[in-house]
Amino acid sequence: MSTPNLNLATPDQETPDIAINAEGTPRKPERIQPLDVLRAIALLGGLLVSIWIFGGLGNNRQLQILEHPNSDNYRLFSLVKLLIEGKMIALISLVFGAGVVLYLSRPNQQNKLSVPDLFIRRQMWLLGFGLLNALLFLWSGDILYHLAIVGILLFPFVRLSSKGLLIAAMITTVIFCGKNYWKYSDDKKAYNKYTAVIAFEKKLSRDSSARARAITAIKGDNKAIAQVKKDSLSKKQKADKQAWEGLLKNTKYDPKKDEGENKEMQTTSFADLWSHVLPATQNRESQWMFQTGVWEVASMMLFGMALLKFGFFENKLSRKQYLLIALAGFAVGILLGWFRLHYYSVSIADYTKYVVKNLFPYNILFPLEKLLMTVGYAALVMFLAVITRLSSFLKAVASVGRLALTNYLLQSIICSVFFTGYGMGYYGKLEQHELYFLAGEIWIVQIVFSIFWLQRFELGPAEWLWRCMTYGKWLPIRKNTSTNTEVIIPALT
Amino acid sequence: MITTTGYSATTTLPLDASISPDETVALPKLKPRPVGASERIQTIDMVRGFALLGILLMNIPGFGIDGSAFYNIINGPHNTADYYTLAIVTSFFDGTMRGLFSMLFGAGMVLFTLSKKEVEGGASVAEYYYRRLLWLVLFGVLNAYVLLWEGDILFYYGLFGMLLYPFRKTAPKWLFLIGLACFATGHFKQQMGYAEFREKRLEYVKAIAAEKSHQKLTEKQKSAKAAWEEIEKNRKPDMERTAENVSERRGGYATVFTHFADRNGSLETMITYHFWPDMLGMMFIGMALFRLGFFSNKLTTSSYGLLLLVGYGIGIPIGWIFFSKGVAVTDIGRYLDAHRVPHGALYDLRRLLLSLGHASLLMLIYRSQILPRLMKVLANVGQMAFTNYLMQSIICTLIFHGYGLGYYNQLKFHQLYYIVGAVWIFQMIFSYIWMRYYRFGPFEWLWRSLTYWKMQPMRLTARAVA
Repeated sequence: MSTPNLNLATPDQETPDIAINAEGTPRKPERIQPLDVLRAIALLGGLLVSIWIFGGLGNNRQLQILEHPNSDNYRLFSLVKLLIEGKMIALISLVFGAGVVLYLSRPNQQNKLSVPDLFIRRQMWLLGFGLLNALLFLWSGDILYHLAIVGILLFPFVRLSSKGLLIAAMITTVIFCGKNYWKYSDDKKAYNKYTAVIAFEKKLSRDSSARARAITAIKGDNKAIAQVKKDSLSKKQKADKQAWEGLLKNTKYDPKKDEGENKEMQTTSFADLWSHVLPATQNRESQWMFQTGVWEVASMMLFGMALLKFGFFENKLSRKQYLLIALAGFAVGILLGWFRLHYYSVSIADYTKYVVKNLFPYNILFPLEKLLMTVGYAALVMFLAVITRLSSFLKAVASVGRLALTNYLLQSIICSVFFTGYGMGYYGKLEQHELYFLAGEIWIVQIVFSIFWLQRFELGPAEWLWRCMTYGKWLPIRKNTSTNTEVIIPALT
Repeated sequence: MITTTGYSATTTLPLDASISPDETVALPKLKPRPVGASERIQTIDMVRGFALLGILLMNIPGFGIDGSAFYNIINGPHNTADYYTLAIVTSFFDGTMRGLFSMLFGAGMVLFTLSKKEVEGGASVAEYYYRRLLWLVLFGVLNAYVLLWEGDILFYYGLFGMLLYPFRKTAPKWLFLIGLACFATGHFKQQMGYAEFREKRLEYVKAIAAEKSHQKLTEKQKSAKAAWEEIEKNRKPDMERTAENVSERRGGYATVFTHFADRNGSLETMITYHFWPDMLGMMFIGMALFRLGFFSNKLTTSSYGLLLLVGYGIGIPIGWIFFSKGVAVTDIGRYLDAHRVPHGALYDLRRLLLSLGHASLLMLIYRSQILPRLMKVLANVGQMAFTNYLMQSIICTLIFHGYGLGYYNQLKFHQLYYIVGAVWIFQMIFSYIWMRYYRFGPFEWLWRSLTYWKMQPMRLTARAVA
């Protein structure tokens, strides 16, 4: 088995060869199967969280679940939050980062676009796919957009050593933690301003009533009356007061909000639906991206780049080590997640008390939790990859990952048709466990579809389109039987 | 700001031919390095110097005066020095200096990437290009969060520049079309926003009409009425808000920092996400113009003359209409009632024409050799444009913020332009002297050294001086 040469500084050593077939078009380089398995896990697992948003189990209804901690709903919800939430974005970013290094470590070909050129084009078309996913398939939680942009931002880092990348990943993770803290400290500030206004208000009403008594004593004193009128909060004080009250309101379940939201999402007009979803999409693509998204994705992508350069995905470690890493990652990750969920419930129960009491927010270590669990998943897959009895199962799962882009877009299409009023209008009508029936159905459809598709075709339809656009010409999609395109599974050879 | 240009690898671009990738001369296999002073294209530096000085015309109100000044000038008497200043600056310069900069950024991008040869085994040109831009983003962050200039554009140029790379060899025709497509997208977004805003006014007008005919208002009409009244109110300067703004800007460093910390974040987010066509469109057009030889003094004199005539001939009247009808609006309600499409629709056409006019005028002056000294000094300013851009932030924040001289909101609008003049003179003299002794401006040197991750030589060698 030839291992891809990842030392970019000397590209003329042994490298994964992209053979040129008869048409002079590049052939797909070898794939690392565990990466495809991880893609599939991220893709299928991610649906368990994204279907909340697709199906109308948004923040507001989640609060309702959290208000009843002894229900089955709550247990299921917490379980998903513990094992899945945030980890799937992290996992896909990790795998994407590894893919970036693989992609860029290919050698340039004579008279062809250079590899960096292809890479940037590929990222820019991915940005296009992300916009399509968000604006046409109406998936406001799209992640392709972010992967595309962060991929470009990290392009200059690809030459760093695995150690350098690891340090960069750590720095970005710390910044990500800091961002969570910063947001919380804003809440704290808002509360302090609020208490100041309230204290002022109390003093004011005491003074005013004293003055009112005085006025009744000296009737007709215009000056005193004017004084009473002036005794009201300034605009800024009012705004400060409202800011905190609004914040508090958002931690409480509000049935009215659901009603309005459901009505909007069940409209049959695509144009209305589009304008209703747009603010959420724009928020995801601008504020969220700027404030946390870029750090969230970049930290994991850098980590994936580092792991690939370490040889993590190519069995550099022993099985025992993989198992150990997986166990340690899950153990610490779940512990951190447990605390996070506990304090999250506490914060929802009484946010004022929570803000007064706690120096740090419940999610301050969320980035670390995600990182540990994600590495846990990755190590677990590396551990399982060599078990022969699992090989056909893993191959089936990997096929979903090979069609990751197609399947990801397909999820958006299926869900927006199923849930919005433009399609079948199930938005907000299903309970959490009912949503998971649908998710299960989608899983089955995607696994079966992927296996059958790959029997006939080399690439998924979206992957094929993506590659054609990157190269700027039509490339074959059918399996070429004359060349050996069997996926080489490093773990099995 | 924004000098992106100027690094050619080991050879100069052929000045007598239009630039195309195939024409770059075969290079000896050396590590890519910045261009030497003698190899630069002087006309590009000259236009950049002009744009750099010009950008302060547009930025100075942001440095020195509260936003309510605009409202007061437009709604006050029209025979004042303030009003005339605003009229001239808006109709003749608004957006054009940023436009020229963006164009030159695109041009510099082509120059940087196409004049370098890939070196076997080393970092690729693409990597140097992207490293350079990431550093630029970081400089932008420093400009906004450390120097405390909220109008920074380095941040955006660094980001948007990253999208230009695959287009460096695209034919000029396509580059023009892509640039125009950017503007079309921008105007589409603008029109959507305007229509939404106008809808609020129309709802209000309907509610008022209903009220006049003594109908009872529905809940919806009531809220529409209240919403518009709130908008009208918020457009008027608010004494409390102004006072707060002024006192914060005239405070110590920590106060000013806090004042800007959140604003910078939301501005950077919003401008990156919504206003990319403004800069990206001009960058593409600049790439096309450069490839056609416009900035490197390769067109015929009559072409420059024609562009000057068309640019100013159409641009100035449009600029005046844009200002007098679209900017100097005293009654926003009536404006909305009367206009389905805002005058903002003329914005990009206007600044494209005026930018071309400005640049052509400079080219003609350069060719005619009437003001060789001035042109030389402008080129010096342009050669160290990045330094000069950051220097404007340093000087102006120190003049206006409280931790400096604290002149914020103390001067009248037209008086701000005395400061502009003083900064111009200072920067011209400084650049002229500096460039006699050094190869790069200080910040250029830092930027280059960071990009190549190696200290660059700074002093001019004796040979180069000669």
